[in-house]
Amino acid sequence: MTAAGSAGAGAGTGADAGAGGAGVAVRTEGGGVAPYRSQLPPARDGFLRLLHAEFTKLRSVGRWLLTLLAGAVVTVLVSLVSAGGSDAVTSGDGGGGGGSGAAAARVADSFRFVHRPLAGDGSITARVTDLTTGADTDAPWAKAGVIVKAGTEPGSPYVALMRTYEHGVRLQHGFEHDVAGGAVAGDAPVWLRLTREGDRLTGYVSVDEGTPANGGTPASEGVAGGGEGVAGGGGERWREVGSVSVAGLPETARAGLFVAAPETVRQERSFGSLDIGTGPSEATGVFDHVRLAGGSGNGGGDGGDAAWRDEAVGPASGPAAANGPAGGAERSGGTFTVTGSGDIGPLPPAADLTWMSLAGAQVGLIAFAALGVLFITAEYRRGMIRTTFTAAPRRGRVLVAKGAVLAAVAFAAGLAAAVVSFLVGQRALRSGGHRPPQFPEVSLTDGAVLRAVVGTGLLLALVALFALALGALLRHTAAAVTIVVVLFVLPLVLGGGLPLGAVEWLFRVTPVAGFGVQSTTPRYEQVETVCVPEDGCMPQGPWAGLGVLAVWAAVALALAVWRLRRRDA
Amino acid sequence: MAASEATIEVRDLRKHFGPVAAVDGLSFTVVPGQVTGFVGPNGAGKSTTMRIVLGLDAPDAGSALIGGLPYGALRRPLQHVGAALDAAAVHPGRRGRDHLLWLAHSHGLPAGRVDELLEQVGLAGAGRRRAGGYSLGMRQRLGIAAALLGDPPVLLFDEPVNGLDPEGIRWIRGFLRRLAAQGRAVLVSSHLMSELEDTADHLVVIGRGRLVADTPVAALLAAASDSRVALQTGARERAMTVLSAAGATVAATGRESLTVAGLPAERVAELLGAEAVPFSGLAAHRASLEEAYMELTRGEAEFAAVPEGEGPR
Repeated sequence: MTAAGSAGAGAGTGADAGAGGAGVAVRTEGGGVAPYRSQLPPARDGFLRLLHAEFTKLRSVGRWLLTLLAGAVVTVLVSLVSAGGSDAVTSGDGGGGGGSGAAAARVADSFRFVHRPLAGDGSITARVTDLTTGADTDAPWAKAGVIVKAGTEPGSPYVALMRTYEHGVRLQHGFEHDVAGGAVAGDAPVWLRLTREGDRLTGYVSVDEGTPANGGTPASEGVAGGGEGVAGGGGERWREVGSVSVAGLPETARAGLFVAAPETVRQERSFGSLDIGTGPSEATGVFDHVRLAGGSGNGGGDGGDAAWRDEAVGPASGPAAANGPAGGAERSGGTFTVTGSGDIGPLPPAADLTWMSLAGAQVGLIAFAALGVLFITAEYRRGMIRTTFTAAPRRGRVLVAKGAVLAAVAFAAGLAAAVVSFLVGQRALRSGGHRPPQFPEVSLTDGAVLRAVVGTGLLLALVALFALALGALLRHTAAAVTIVVVLFVLPLVLGGGLPLGAVEWLFRVTPVAGFGVQSTTPRYEQVETVCVPEDGCMPQGPWAGLGVLAVWAAVALALAVWRLRRRDA
Repeated sequence: MAASEATIEVRDLRKHFGPVAAVDGLSFTVVPGQVTGFVGPNGAGKSTTMRIVLGLDAPDAGSALIGGLPYGALRRPLQHVGAALDAAAVHPGRRGRDHLLWLAHSHGLPAGRVDELLEQVGLAGAGRRRAGGYSLGMRQRLGIAAALLGDPPVLLFDEPVNGLDPEGIRWIRGFLRRLAAQGRAVLVSSHLMSELEDTADHLVVIGRGRLVADTPVAALLAAASDSRVALQTGARERAMTVLSAAGATVAATGRESLTVAGLPAERVAELLGAEAVPFSGLAAHRASLEEAYMELTRGEAEFAAVPEGEGPR
């Protein structure tokens, strides 16, 4: 027995090969030998060991590393090609934004403005009795209302309260901010009131019909004194739409009536062809019971009718733009009829340059998917999965460890590819004519760009993870790769051929939704833009889109774990 | 000694694949200190049994325990059981050393242990080459190295001799014997009994998923040899008549040779002498393991559709 023990002690030190002769000698009577006892220190187990083992597997197959590299390189090259092949169409009617100054942000600020000075605190009240758009135009965001603005310079601060053609009452300011103030029934007249107290402006709305009962002073929000010569002039019950604080309004601002009608956007798609049309538009608003209360800049008294000035703010637009100033205003008695074009609001970039410079991921993902599938199916194909499961019998943990290692490596490669794609893609786009102001500079450090670039790394990691799960479920390389490619590439290809509604649905529920994270164009509810998913206008927010892909990956992985535990290896 | 962790206990194991019973009520025990041959024709259920022992396949009924525990309950399995199931189960694009390295990492074993084993199995020079370029023999060695990585007291080898050249076969026989001599339980499967000659101490023979024999090799050989006598004679017909009359089973194995079963050699000589039947040679037959195996499995239709020496011609 002791002899057997010493033979055992020799193991693990390279002495096995020489132990043969001694081995025969220690055989005892009856064939009994002392059971073997290893002299190796006890091994360690745990999830970290599994991660280490799986990482060793991943890095030790040269072809897999090449696949990963290919995925990154293809991502960069395709991004570069697609960015380089896109020439900017720099047309003159870039939206009429602030061409006037360096400070001009990408905003639209063009409308018909009938105004008077408003010194200090006060309010402007008007009843909008009618809002009509031009004959052939469909302008749901045509608007007419009251506005307090720093001046007539485009881009200057303002707060506007309006009724819109199809979107009810809105309170807007700062070109980006939009508060919904409730729907308006049909052609019912709408009372609008905007009051200024220092930097704070508050909008009220009243939809009372009939003759105002209390002489124009709402019971709750009376504006004392300063009565205009206009009869009536107020609703019965005022409801607050919102209150905003605006910096930059001078002591004496301009207050008055405005009408604007943004360009109409029409997109239709029937098989194979996308039909996008934008057209000028025009709207006419009819106001009465117009009353400016407070200082008029000339002593606080009644400024008189002569004080109303009619002006077109911003560059000309609209149907008559080519022939001269758009719109106009007429006054007959207490009724103002104002016709205008243009819009007051944000002007999204004409194209999502970040999206364009990351387009290569749509092709590069195939390599990431292939790697994900191979990482598991290669083991099944050779029977190596049995070695894996004998080393780690808890199969679910094995797959999770595999997924974690794969996702981390794919993320690193995907992130690197995305950063390079963005940098070279931007350069190509700039030299292709995409220049400010129409295409503003974007930088890696911009929040949205950073989100898109990091998101691309996450996207590719999730693709690999999803592919891994499919590989584990199907145990067949070609089948799993095909499914991933179909799920990702088909919507992208079909995108050009299906009706818009179907495409949006596809981009909402299929894994392709993940590409939403690459989108950096802000979406504003109050602005209609040309929006097709292939160009980066995804139906969901960036993280929501990536979340859809993550759900796909998580569900597939959970199914794979479940299956792995039940089936024989 | 009985409660050693160096044992494999298979009890009433059953496993069906569809309507086919791959393993059908199998029970046996593999004890430490000897090489146990696990023999049966292809499809007898050897690999399935081994997979169940390793927790890869789930049995329909029964149990397979290693040192009293099911495989899944082993905390660090590679230190309890080493297995080499399929020599091809290596990614061809991975270096041999890396194949062992990931296994080592899964148990937190040092890289030095990997190099040590490459040395032991004679792959020290090939460890940095891709496994795709390995010969079958080299892959067998790599598989054996993987099995030994955790220095386990229980070892399972599925057809380890497959694809080895004669020198490799000699090497692996010695290797298996040394492992057993160290006190490990070594289970080696084969579909050819001759491969286990001079290697196995004990045999577990199965056919169609059932146990056919569970016996020490020495006893099996003795039993098979005892009953047979090889006889050389020019008077074959007369010898057959005489010996049959005395109650022996006689089979012609050549024009001038007979095999006599049922009578000891001295009695055969005595009978032939009494009847003056001439014979040129008489020897108690020393059965080869292969013959003992055939003897043992004579009744199993699957093994021998036409019993030896009793054919229709």
